[in-house]
Amino acid sequence: MTRYIIRRLLQAIPLLFIISMILFVLMQNMGDPLATMGGRTVTKSADRERLSRQLGLDKPIYVQYLYWLIGNDWAKADLDGDGIPETPGTRKGVLRGDFGTSLLNRGVPVTKVIGDRLPNTLLLMVTAELVIIVGSMLIGIYSALNQYSTADNIISTATFFLYSLPIFFFALVVMYIFAVNFKRWGLPYLPTVGMFEPQVGKTPAQVAWHMVLPVATLSFVYFAAYSRYIRSTMLEAMGKDYIRTAKAKGLPRPEIIYIHGLKNAALPIVTVVALDLPFLLGGALVTERIFAWPGTGRLFLDHLARNDTAVVMGLLMMIAVAVVLFQIVADVLYAWLDPRIRYK
Amino acid sequence: METTAEKPNGIVQLPLDELETPPLSLGQLTWRRFRRHRMAIFGGVSLILIFLYSFGGALFISEAEANFTATGDRLQPPSREHPMGTDTIGRDIMARTIYGGQISILIGITAMIVEVLLGVTIGSMAGFFGGKLDSLLMRMTEAIIVIPQIFLLLVMAKFFGGSIPNITILGRTFSGSVVIIIVIIGITSWPYLARIVRAEFLSLKENEFVLAARATGTSKREIIFRHILPNSMAPIIVAATLGVANAIAAEAYISFLGLGVRPPTATWGNMMESAYNYIESAWWLWLFPGFLISMTVLSINFLGDGLRDALDPHSRAA
Amino acid sequence: MFQKPFVRSLLFMLIAASFVLAGCAQPAAPTAAPVEPTQPPAAVEPTQAPAVAEPTQPPVVAEPTQPPAAPAEKKVTTFIWTQEFDTLNPLYTNMWFSTITHQWWNCWAWDFDEKNAPRPVLVKEIPSVENGGISEDGKTITLKLREDLVWSDGTPLTADDFIFTYEMTMSPKNAVAATSPYDKIEKIEAPDPQTLVMTFKDPYAPWVGTLWHGLLPKHILQPVFDSDGTLDKAEWSRAPTVGCGPFVFAEWESGSFARFVANEKYWAGRPKLDEIFVRFVPDDASQIAALKAGDGDLGTFIAYPDMPDLEAAGLTLVKTFSGYNEGYYFLLDPAKGHPAIQDVKVRQAIAYATNRQKLTEDLLLGKTVPAATMWDATPYIDPSITPYPYDPEKAKALLDEAGWVDTNGDGVREKDGTDLSFIYGTTTREIRKDTQAVVQQELAAVGIKVELQNFDSDIYFAGYGEGGPAATGQLDMFEYSTVPQFPDPDTFDFLCAEIPSDEKPSGTNWEGWCDPELDALFQKQATEVDFAARQQTFYQISKMIYDKVYWLGLWQDPDFYAVNPKLLNIKFSGVTPFFNIAEWDLK
Repeated sequence: MTRYIIRRLLQAIPLLFIISMILFVLMQNMGDPLATMGGRTVTKSADRERLSRQLGLDKPIYVQYLYWLIGNDWAKADLDGDGIPETPGTRKGVLRGDFGTSLLNRGVPVTKVIGDRLPNTLLLMVTAELVIIVGSMLIGIYSALNQYSTADNIISTATFFLYSLPIFFFALVVMYIFAVNFKRWGLPYLPTVGMFEPQVGKTPAQVAWHMVLPVATLSFVYFAAYSRYIRSTMLEAMGKDYIRTAKAKGLPRPEIIYIHGLKNAALPIVTVVALDLPFLLGGALVTERIFAWPGTGRLFLDHLARNDTAVVMGLLMMIAVAVVLFQIVADVLYAWLDPRIRYK
Repeated sequence: METTAEKPNGIVQLPLDELETPPLSLGQLTWRRFRRHRMAIFGGVSLILIFLYSFGGALFISEAEANFTATGDRLQPPSREHPMGTDTIGRDIMARTIYGGQISILIGITAMIVEVLLGVTIGSMAGFFGGKLDSLLMRMTEAIIVIPQIFLLLVMAKFFGGSIPNITILGRTFSGSVVIIIVIIGITSWPYLARIVRAEFLSLKENEFVLAARATGTSKREIIFRHILPNSMAPIIVAATLGVANAIAAEAYISFLGLGVRPPTATWGNMMESAYNYIESAWWLWLFPGFLISMTVLSINFLGDGLRDALDPHSRAA
Repeated sequence: MFQKPFVRSLLFMLIAASFVLAGCAQPAAPTAAPVEPTQPPAAVEPTQAPAVAEPTQPPVVAEPTQPPAAPAEKKVTTFIWTQEFDTLNPLYTNMWFSTITHQWWNCWAWDFDEKNAPRPVLVKEIPSVENGGISEDGKTITLKLREDLVWSDGTPLTADDFIFTYEMTMSPKNAVAATSPYDKIEKIEAPDPQTLVMTFKDPYAPWVGTLWHGLLPKHILQPVFDSDGTLDKAEWSRAPTVGCGPFVFAEWESGSFARFVANEKYWAGRPKLDEIFVRFVPDDASQIAALKAGDGDLGTFIAYPDMPDLEAAGLTLVKTFSGYNEGYYFLLDPAKGHPAIQDVKVRQAIAYATNRQKLTEDLLLGKTVPAATMWDATPYIDPSITPYPYDPEKAKALLDEAGWVDTNGDGVREKDGTDLSFIYGTTTREIRKDTQAVVQQELAAVGIKVELQNFDSDIYFAGYGEGGPAATGQLDMFEYSTVPQFPDPDTFDFLCAEIPSDEKPSGTNWEGWCDPELDALFQKQATEVDFAARQQTFYQISKMIYDKVYWLGLWQDPDFYAVNPKLLNIKFSGVTPFFNIAEWDLK
């Protein structure tokens, strides 16, 4: 098993290189970072030329990628436009831990830009994920055990209905009902946007209170997906012969369900959860946007819209590394949970 | 009363018990089990109705009506003339849901087909053959997962955005961006299915019946298609149905970010997006497309559920 | 445990029910009376809708999650920004949401009041030829600063800070957002701490609208520049704790909020408010919800359809004209453009075929008017110019005259084998998409077929070098809204020399205007320091553009602010919106 893990890790390295190249090329072809530097007007041509030179955007793609990867402190840039490069660069490159500085938030290191938002995202996403997993387990198991009952049908309808509503819509509706209209009707209400109220300050109670609507939005929409998988795998597991044997032997019902049924149904569930975990880092694009939650999802959208290559690459590589690692973790978990699986 | 007739080679033939039913074919068995699932029947029926509405409705209302703007009539609530009201520039919403439905359904089904074909092929090959092929395919899968769907969509929109001309199929003209959406959704959804299929193949491969098949010299292709694949149909069907639902929902999500099907081609997704700013003030803008999206996704899911329950001989509650 | 799903189903039904109730309780508020801006806009125009029957609580009373604050508490006002500033350093950004904060914590030499007239801030009076501030030949401008200017840390603010700002802008080591107009200065010096003398290479007419938009503190940033070699990475850009405005920067949490507190040392007297809290809410609908719920006192960039809702919720909508006009630009390139568009008669036909009056009445709720020229609502346009009227018959006649007729009966005109069918592109904003659909239909009625395309902003506005669709000539008719150097009418985006090409990929003249007469006029106006002469030049410019339909105006694009009535003494300027922020107060 250790050899397998090491082999996977080694395989991951060229994969990450290739991914970074693909992403970089895609990013460069996305649009023009200088297009929106004029503010509400079109960028002037003199400024365009100068900024292109100063920010290193006039270099060919492979040179820009090289600088991104290994820095440019070994090369000189021509900053004053006279055609002669004279100023040494200051970047060390990703391989030495320097992800560069943001184009949008000029001069701020990428690690700071992302690091400022990451805790907020993790707070929101991890909470939401826990709620989803626990909720889906309960719903899925209940549905599987009471297949075709009225309760099962109602639950299926409700979860699917919520799943089929576009999330942005659900978020806004929920905001309108519980925040805007409840307040109007004099009922106890939830806040609309942000992480806390300015008058009160950023206290844990405030943050928790402000998290209710975003977490609810995320959970309600994803209950269906997870609970269906859990339901179907539970049904499969419960239909197996060893369950019949266990019942015949007269084992207590909870033991049958949880120890014999659930443990075997866990495999596909592990797949789904492990695959989704790394994306928690990327935040929930739409939910964060609507509830003005300062997370990495919004960061991604904002910086992508303004073609801030450094920050977007930083985010994407962070997620890439996480995805690769979690894939390995998931595979190891497979083997641990199902002794029949052997890796060559 | 049984009588046994001894055959020369010792095999005993038992007569049929009168109370036994004749053996059923797989199709008949599936249908009988399917019938039990009331919600699945409901799902199937409503899907047929929605289909009729979208494709049959086109016989009564022309596409020109769906695109006819009359800003003086904007944001009218439902009335006799406009049973579902009008939108922000006076177009009839009912006509737009009909034609929009065609596109949304088309996107859903086509994207699902792409997803299933890619996912099953790659997943089964990786799971069955293992070794280097498995590694390579799984790394490829990871690479796709890593690139966010939105990012890929923006890039493709940039590359192809303006240059894909309007497409005309069966007399209906719509924006070429529909193709881009289908390709993106299909390309970015297959990894999940591939991993599930691979996991199934990895487990099933070690089962006794596979060992038996290998022992009797069955070809690899037969093992895959006749032995393992039918046993892993359940997650594939669940994934396929959720896939159509996903695709239709993804289309709405993408429309919200402004990257959806370009106007003036209507889809349920981009109708919801236009209605986003009018949630309180003009409920008819979102209620009808929203209801249609929900009903379609709901029905598809119930249908898939019923199929899965019907096809899997082991699925029975404790 | 098994009751849970039932509870959830009940909850779901409750949601559905309250939803229906919400729908019923809100009859659509009738639109307010349309306002016509013939002048650069004035003060507050309260646009209250007639009272609607609904159980609204005045948002003033509700303090979100705390018991109501006692009046002796700090006066904090909350603004909602839909875009977060990228940086606060005035040199490094042109982002509107960042530059409008300058009146809070930074200082311009002069700003502009609600009539968009210049108002001295750091200078004793606006320089002119009469008071000796501007030399006879128009090349030298002298500023006389007030003696009592101090930065928020007590250091005196002198002409040295101006020179430092100039040096930092022009230094090649700083990747600043824009170098103009400082690149036109030949010599700058400070004979004494209160006097600044600038000599331009040529007389520079647009100086009042473009100079000294924000200062850098020399005593803080000179050491940073000396040690780092550049200001690009300065901490001050993220946290400008030393400023010269009525408020001082306090805090900025990425993605979340920014705080500015009252500057006790402000040389014009402490402001009335204690704190400005800016909240970043990127989603428009959320912004509206937050404003309605009273979670914000001020918001901007409001879409027209949301305005009646906001007014019904008790907010006041203030309109201020900032020089933006939305219109159509045509691709006048004989090689890449559509042959029909090159013909002025076809362009005029397009003007007559589109009912822009109805568009502004219906889609923009009558809150603005069609635009005639790019300099609408300024003193620089010929008063005889009015927008082209809606006359489809005349449009058809013009097209017939130009030789475009429908010979094959498919509804689209053609000539010499080419269909009169071209590409109309714009960004993805809702109002633009709606306009596209309406105009498409109107043009189809006179036999012109347009194909619609939409692009994301950063792709749409990408330059020639980056393959931007407008810049590279993929679009025949493109729509966007832009502004000259408001309140100055100067623009040099449309010179012949600015046509983008492989040699000059950064060119801004995507439209391909190259009319030698027009070009000469554009160059001339930039040097005319005499207002009357310049006005005449612009009369000629705007008339020429109007007659030849180089640009077809759609609507005037004012800025709207939604303000909670508990904020007092509100005035907005089109150029420097928050010019009198020091006087704002909370009830």
